Amino acid sequence: MTLRAVALALGALLAIGAAKAPERWWSPGEGRVFPAQLTYPNADGELGLVLTGGAMPTRGHPFFEPLGPDGRACVTCHQPADSMSLSVASVQERWIATKGRDPLFAAYDGSNCPGLPQGERASHSLLLDHGLIRVERAWPVAGTDMSVEVVRDPTRCNSGEYGPEKGKISVYRRPRPVANMKYLLAMGFAYDPKAGMPLPLDPETGQPVSGNLMADGRALTLKIQMEDAAATHLRMVRHLTPQQIAQITDFEMRIYSAQVKGPHGMLNAGGAKGGPQTLADSIPGQLGSISNQPNSVSGPVWSEFAAWEKDDPALPEAERAFRKSVARGARVFREKMFLISDSAGINSPVGFGNPVRNSCVFCHNMTQMGNDVAPGQVDLGTTTLPFADPQPDLPLFRITCRGKPHPHYGRTILTHDPGYALTTGKCADVGKITLQSNRGLAARAPYFSNGMAKDLRGIIDYYDRRYSIGYTEQDKQDLVNLMRAL
Amino acid sequence: MKRVVALMALLAASAGAAAEVNFITCPVYRDTDNGRKSGCWLGEDPASGIRYDITQSAAKPDWNFAVLVEGRVAASPDDPCGGAVLDPVRVSILLDQPCTRHMIPAEGFKGRKYVLPKRNIDPLSVVRAKPQPPFATRSFRLFFDWNSDFIAYQREDHSLDMAIAWIRGAPVRSLTVTGYAATTPFNVSGQAMAEEKGMGQIRADHVAEALYRLGIPKAKIVTRNGGDGGVIADALADDLPQASRRRVEIVAEVAE
Repeated sequence: MTLRAVALALGALLAIGAAKAPERWWSPGEGRVFPAQLTYPNADGELGLVLTGGAMPTRGHPFFEPLGPDGRACVTCHQPADSMSLSVASVQERWIATKGRDPLFAAYDGSNCPGLPQGERASHSLLLDHGLIRVERAWPVAGTDMSVEVVRDPTRCNSGEYGPEKGKISVYRRPRPVANMKYLLAMGFAYDPKAGMPLPLDPETGQPVSGNLMADGRALTLKIQMEDAAATHLRMVRHLTPQQIAQITDFEMRIYSAQVKGPHGMLNAGGAKGGPQTLADSIPGQLGSISNQPNSVSGPVWSEFAAWEKDDPALPEAERAFRKSVARGARVFREKMFLISDSAGINSPVGFGNPVRNSCVFCHNMTQMGNDVAPGQVDLGTTTLPFADPQPDLPLFRITCRGKPHPHYGRTILTHDPGYALTTGKCADVGKITLQSNRGLAARAPYFSNGMAKDLRGIIDYYDRRYSIGYTEQDKQDLVNLMRAL
Repeated sequence: MKRVVALMALLAASAGAAAEVNFITCPVYRDTDNGRKSGCWLGEDPASGIRYDITQSAAKPDWNFAVLVEGRVAASPDDPCGGAVLDPVRVSILLDQPCTRHMIPAEGFKGRKYVLPKRNIDPLSVVRAKPQPPFATRSFRLFFDWNSDFIAYQREDHSLDMAIAWIRGAPVRSLTVTGYAATTPFNVSGQAMAEEKGMGQIRADHVAEALYRLGIPKAKIVTRNGGDGGVIADALADDLPQASRRRVEIVAEVAE
């Protein structure tokens, strides 16, 4: 064999190797085929994705093609390996791999503020360290009963040519997973008990909608959400065409994502029903906070792992222990009661009382998904003082209620992100953030809308502090293992 | 001692055929643990010194604010919370009257195991029964907490659900939505209580918006402020006279 032949053979082997291990990162315009099933390893096992209806070419598909001047596509911030969200690990990998030149780091919202020197890491610190994308909202909105002052502006994007004086407010949020959409769009009941009203209406069709899209609820439908994202995150000058909207909608309604393999084996083994295929096959919108809910067809929240309550001594010890822990975690999630207090959307104005005794499943009540069956605008304190952890990197706003004071914070509120109030303009909505899917968590750290919890344990520790729950160490480990399996 | 006081209240109620009990107080939360939503709410009537169990209200108190309590002493001698049980009872949160929050331990009281209330609405997946002819003009009522236009969960949303099921299935020509408010002062715990004159219109507008969201064209809906409509007898207001003053009446006129 000649040297040339050896070189050709080696090249062919490398090419085969590359085909077996495709890049985790999907860059815009690559033109890959999105397979019907896809898995990505992560620290807790494997994430699985299912595309119902079969494989889909992405060449020319508007979710995957660069559409704006920055070379971004939807997939830039909604990566398959990150459960169609964006992990901070992926962000850091891209920064190193591209020396900060990936379209992800576009000045408009991939940096702390467009006016900062874009070549410096510090200008992208919120994205690199916390996975946060800048979200610029117009302010004030019509009918508002509150005023906004900037107390602290570490990103320099809430002052000068930015900020409330210029009719803008910048907040920083994690990209939400674009998967399992039928659950987020499902309507279980005709009424929103948090608002004391029937469900909100799609402004274009007049039909009711779930109210469970976006952290601040500013878009009530997928169409409005993608138009908002195209105009801001993609900086498109032209509108998406009806065909592009239809193509993106089609993909988003077909893609399901969940952890499919845990650290000790498949999550649909031993009678369990973990993984994305169950999500694709199940009926959404089922209220799973009550095991005997009339007309429920799906059972209690996280009952996918009920079969693991039965011990299997034949299993290797580590797998056996993990399964038992996940099953216990599901029960702790549903059954460990604690006092929930001073949380708008729960303790006011619904009528549950302040405080009220309940468990995680009180709000995370949709079977298989853990979002809220009702529109999920709730203030858990993650963005608002005194409950939020110190976050010196984030801006801080002082909200003054000009009408009625906030039922729990009073007339003056300090917040990193007013959340739903940026949409409604209402003081009573400050700090409310729409509950989101609990799926694919292992693939998309950090957590909460502002990335405050760097890992799954951080979520549990926050809730334990916030509501003085008194979880045991065993409870905490079990809840973390449950979330690793979602 | 507390049980004796509760018994006295029960005996007094029996003698007086369960007269309406109205008072304003700072609520006390008793941390009973009998599963979800099992905490107890207590309130002491300043006039009598009797501690009442006000937990059975569909809308519960907020421990940071005073509450207006309207109810009747229940006939049952049960005492799961440590107070004379009011049932029916309605609690309105008075956001302009702050209270020092106070929580007391269970002290042996078990609280109540949660059961779904009777006025719990069905999921959308449950098909509502269609109204049957002959159709005639019909009215529906919603009742409200003090100074509020909020459609109470598992109480008034149920009434609205019943109303819209009929309205959708009947040949309704127009809807007149009239809001009423308790604008004539009445004395409770030494306070002259009166709602703002505009509250009737606010309630009417709120219910009209709810009807619109449920698919009724705005052109079919007329709203008006009925002022103080006075006391009426209605089981949906638990036959509580003062609570009955705070209402919206939807009159659905059918086509001939």
